[in-house]
Amino acid sequence: MFFLYDLERTITLHPYYFGPHMREYLINKLLTDVEGTCTGRYYIICVLDAYNISMGKILPGSGLAEFTISYRAVVWRPFKGETVDGVVTAVSKLGFFANVGPLPVFVSTHLIPADVKFDPTANPPQFSDNEGQVIEKGAHVRLKLVGTRSDVGKMSAIGSIKEDYLGCL
Amino acid sequence: MSNIRDANLHSDEEEDDDFGEEEDPRPEKRQRRAPSDDEDDEDDDDEDAPKPSGRDKSRNKSNGANEDDEIEELEEDEDDDDDEDDDEDEDDEGPRRRRGQRRAHNPFLDTMAEVDEDDEVDDEEDDEMEADFIAPGDDDDALRHRAGDDRLHRQLDRQNQADFAEDLEKVAAEMRDRHGGRRGHRLGDASTVTPKRLLLPSVNDPSIWGVKCKPGKEKEAVFTIMKKVQDMKGTRNALNIISVLERGQSMQGFIYVEARRQADVLTALTNIPNVYARSGMILVPVDEMPDLLRVQKKAEITPGTFVRFKRGKYQGDLAQVVDVEQSGQILNIRAVPRIDYGARDDGTDASGKRKRSVGAVRPPQRLFSEAEARKYHERDLTSTRRGIFNFQGDTYEGGYLVKDVRVTALQLENVNPKLEEVTKFASTGDGNESLDLQALSQSLKASTDKYAPYQPGDMVEVYAGEQAGMVGKVTRVRADIVSMNVQEGPLKGKDIDVPFKGLRKRFKEGDHVKVMGGSRYRDEVGMVVKIVDDRVTFLSDLSMGEITVFSRDLREASDSGGMGTAAGKYDLWDLIQLNATTVACVIKIDRESLKVLDQEGATRTILPSQVAAKIPPRRKDAVATDRNGSDIRVEDTVKEIAGGENRSGVIHHLYRGFAFIHSKELQGETGGIFVARTNNLATMIAKGGRVASSGPDLSKMPEMSKKPGGNMAPPIIPRQGGRDRILGQTVHVRQGPYKGLLGIVKDATDTTARIELHSKNKTITIEKMKLGFKEGATGRILSYAEFVQPKKGFGDRGSNTSYSSGNSSAGGNSWSGSRTPAGSSAWAGSRTPAGAHGGSGGGGRTPAWAGGAGDGGRTPAWASGSKTPAYGANDGSRTSDPYKDGSRTSNPYRDGSRTSDPYRGDNDGSRTSYGQPVGASGASGGRTPAWNPGNRTPHYGSGEPGPRDSGTAWDSGSKTPARSLSSVNDQWNDSYGNNSSTTARTPAGYSATSPEFSGGYTAATPGASGLSAPTPGGLSAPTPPVSAPTPRANTWDAPTPGGPASAATPGASGGDNRRYFDAPTPQGGGYSSAKTPGAWGNDDDDDAPGYN
Repeated sequence: MFFLYDLERTITLHPYYFGPHMREYLINKLLTDVEGTCTGRYYIICVLDAYNISMGKILPGSGLAEFTISYRAVVWRPFKGETVDGVVTAVSKLGFFANVGPLPVFVSTHLIPADVKFDPTANPPQFSDNEGQVIEKGAHVRLKLVGTRSDVGKMSAIGSIKEDYLGCL
Repeated sequence: MSNIRDANLHSDEEEDDDFGEEEDPRPEKRQRRAPSDDEDDEDDDDEDAPKPSGRDKSRNKSNGANEDDEIEELEEDEDDDDDEDDDEDEDDEGPRRRRGQRRAHNPFLDTMAEVDEDDEVDDEEDDEMEADFIAPGDDDDALRHRAGDDRLHRQLDRQNQADFAEDLEKVAAEMRDRHGGRRGHRLGDASTVTPKRLLLPSVNDPSIWGVKCKPGKEKEAVFTIMKKVQDMKGTRNALNIISVLERGQSMQGFIYVEARRQADVLTALTNIPNVYARSGMILVPVDEMPDLLRVQKKAEITPGTFVRFKRGKYQGDLAQVVDVEQSGQILNIRAVPRIDYGARDDGTDASGKRKRSVGAVRPPQRLFSEAEARKYHERDLTSTRRGIFNFQGDTYEGGYLVKDVRVTALQLENVNPKLEEVTKFASTGDGNESLDLQALSQSLKASTDKYAPYQPGDMVEVYAGEQAGMVGKVTRVRADIVSMNVQEGPLKGKDIDVPFKGLRKRFKEGDHVKVMGGSRYRDEVGMVVKIVDDRVTFLSDLSMGEITVFSRDLREASDSGGMGTAAGKYDLWDLIQLNATTVACVIKIDRESLKVLDQEGATRTILPSQVAAKIPPRRKDAVATDRNGSDIRVEDTVKEIAGGENRSGVIHHLYRGFAFIHSKELQGETGGIFVARTNNLATMIAKGGRVASSGPDLSKMPEMSKKPGGNMAPPIIPRQGGRDRILGQTVHVRQGPYKGLLGIVKDATDTTARIELHSKNKTITIEKMKLGFKEGATGRILSYAEFVQPKKGFGDRGSNTSYSSGNSSAGGNSWSGSRTPAGSSAWAGSRTPAGAHGGSGGGGRTPAWAGGAGDGGRTPAWASGSKTPAYGANDGSRTSDPYKDGSRTSNPYRDGSRTSDPYRGDNDGSRTSYGQPVGASGASGGRTPAWNPGNRTPHYGSGEPGPRDSGTAWDSGSKTPARSLSSVNDQWNDSYGNNSSTTARTPAGYSATSPEFSGGYTAATPGASGLSAPTPGGLSAPTPPVSAPTPRANTWDAPTPGGPASAATPGASGGDNRRYFDAPTPQGGGYSSAKTPGAWGNDDDDDAPGYN
């Protein structure tokens, strides 16, 4: 689910960059640092604006200045039970992996309907129910997240297509 | 147990019979049975407890208090007792005998009276015992009551009156006897259930002694004793023991004898084999007696339950009970065989004796293979029926070993089968899973007490019993009862208690779980994908493999990772060093081993101890070249294009020519990791388009705008032939943790020395540059360079030669020149005039100096300001004095030197200037310091001139230059390194050609420009120094060196600087011109006051 979050970030600046363009530097830095990253709980998709840049504070001992930037960002946070669309990236006999945007999702065979079977002989290997539903690498699937897991700087999830209206798109 | 009990019981009764009532009060008492005794007996029966002793104890207990009276009024008491007894024990003879009387004697209870009618018949039959003198009367009473009508009442009245007529006293006595006794018993028997604690043995009861016996022979001993009791019964030395029991299961090696006196026990046990009565017996404390008789229910063994082997080849292995022999002593079990088919022959050696397989490796568990058995030991293999084989004396059925085993060789409790073990029994060979979950759960339930499977907070589900289907959260766990707070359904919010049995943990798909208990997969963390009954399948976070375990072994884990680093130091996908040439990537972590994929592509399982080292990831700098010649780095996506299977993946590690690549497609045994040579790879996607890396790093200064030159490499002091001079020297450590300590040089290499410290009993290795050498004569501390090159510097201060040598070295651009410049310029400066004066070799340069007035801005300042005259003076006449003077005067210099620190930071010039003061003070010092400025040596140098002042010189001069120098130095070196530049830029410093010098400045312009603009902080320092000279020059011109100089430095700097930079030449010229004369004149002046 997408959210608009108010976030903060602290950026340090070398004295070399002190000057009229400081603000530009800071915002650039913010964008490069933050956009497209994962905090472990959500992905920061896009920074809308940095609405407050604090006064810089010189760090004793180093001469660097520290700025706290408050910004608004669009974030995506996957939830248990959320239904999402993804692209299959890998298929193995244990299940398949799909990418839902930045989030890798694993769909285990246990969470695939029984009639959709793994076909190792197909090239590329695929899950198929022999009725036109083929899940192979690159296929688009709709799945439901049944569990998410967060690590430092990354997330992963397991999904299920064992419900109505889920599966190949 | 039952045998013993019967035996004991029997013997008890015999004793009762044997010992007449007159012989010993004890047996008689035994005959009287407290009403509660019967109950107790029943209880005991239920519990399978040995009856006799329990009965004895309780009997003794309840009667103990009244013992004495009872002995006298035995008969009456007995009757009364029996009266009270309303539930009888049909089993025992004794009670039955007495029942009739008892019933008859209950005239005041209507119910009893009614029932008694038919009983009386029995009673009459049974009543062959003692005559009951009140029986008739009682009968009458009973009759009277029983009828319950007027006639009877009247009859009663009449009877009463008749009685009354009789001896009242007698009646009174009768009544007292009858009712008095009864009352007492009523109290005790108010409730039919006597609290158990009242039945507990007391100190008045016979004691129980524990006697050692041969372990395993307990039963035998008990039977022997029983026999002995029987044999001796009725004789004069009948045994005076009450009971004997054994607790072979829990108390091996002991039998217990109940008796009044220890002596009785001893006599009873003499000549009983296997009993060691003499070796001490233990009196069982009264409060432990009940524990002695407590019976634990034995695990029920039914076909299907799991057991473990206690010993032998299969020790610890799980086995499943197929059948239980009737005796219950032998079990027919099946287990997964461990056969070493390759073993030679049948395990007998030449002499025909069975070899002991000492230290032999236990063959792994594997189902019986007919083919292999046939291959190696055909003649040992017979097949009775299809699928059943006899092989080397054992029977194998469906691949399993089927065997009759004594119960004693098996562990029946706490078997705690693991799923992976159990699953070995699951397949019946035809691939069908026939796991007997019922049996399994039974085995498991029995063993759950090992560790608490449920903890508060767990979600549990009741799946059996009345409350099946209930789901709740555990709030409390006591023994095997779980209190849970129901979370769903109509009982929501209620707390209920549920036994472990019928309870299981509940998880949902997607839950994040961790394996807790006794499973091979302990500490695995993953997400649940499937739940069937109490088997939970989850996807391991680490290996991405699926793992099935029992739900009782799982706990919910937090959603966030925290990789289970069970194997300690190594994580999944770590790169480790196996030996000097082999590296490997960890692909699986087990509890005690690691599975790795080495660079050759082979997987092996190793122990953590076999890992030589872990290779820390070098995220950024490891770069390899792919087949197309482009860079590949860690985290790039690459594809095999040659010699492989077109696999692609993300690089995890690069090591030499190998890349360890993780591919999501490849699962399988390596967990998706494969290894490839980098020249067989092609980049697909560089991570994050590497090139488009994000703008400047704002936490650092951009490289471009840094002044060229980085840190100055430590100067290379040429190795001199022969023994290293520093060996055996007493040195100071001037840097590092040992700073300040004294030591003796024990050994030295080109760059390091081993110092034996004076203060600590320790020998340290330290860079020579960090050492200070004490000069023998003066006590000065010399740097290494000074120490090693003594002649160049300080050999003889007064001598001109040293100067000239300094010059020459400068001119020669020898390495020392690099040092020298400072010195040399100083020299030059100093000499220049000198040369001018003295017309010495320096003269060649003098003009240069003069010409270089621009740069001379500084130099001359120096030169003029300080030494030149001094030198000149030196040259001219005062050899030593000037020096001393110089040393004194060096104060201003030092001031200058201080100011010059920033200077140095600036440019070579700075050094030069630096050197100059030094040079001024101590000629040689001039050089060395120049060198060392980077190393702070300058201070030394500056310090040298006047030992007195050296301290201040140090302090003042020290740090700033040291730091600022670092950058400068490189420049130095650079410029120096290119000798051409020596003439170009450096020379300014070195040979002091003014244009060049200024050129040098301008050459440094990037830096210089940088000076002017960007770095106010860092570079501002140099600026003033640059200017510093100027003021200095001025100051020198003006007499007062110290104060003004320092004052002028900062203030003047800005302006001076600019001027300086803007229009060097003229200024320089101006300076020079100004200086030269000024300097001269001034110097003279200076000198004069200075020296004075």
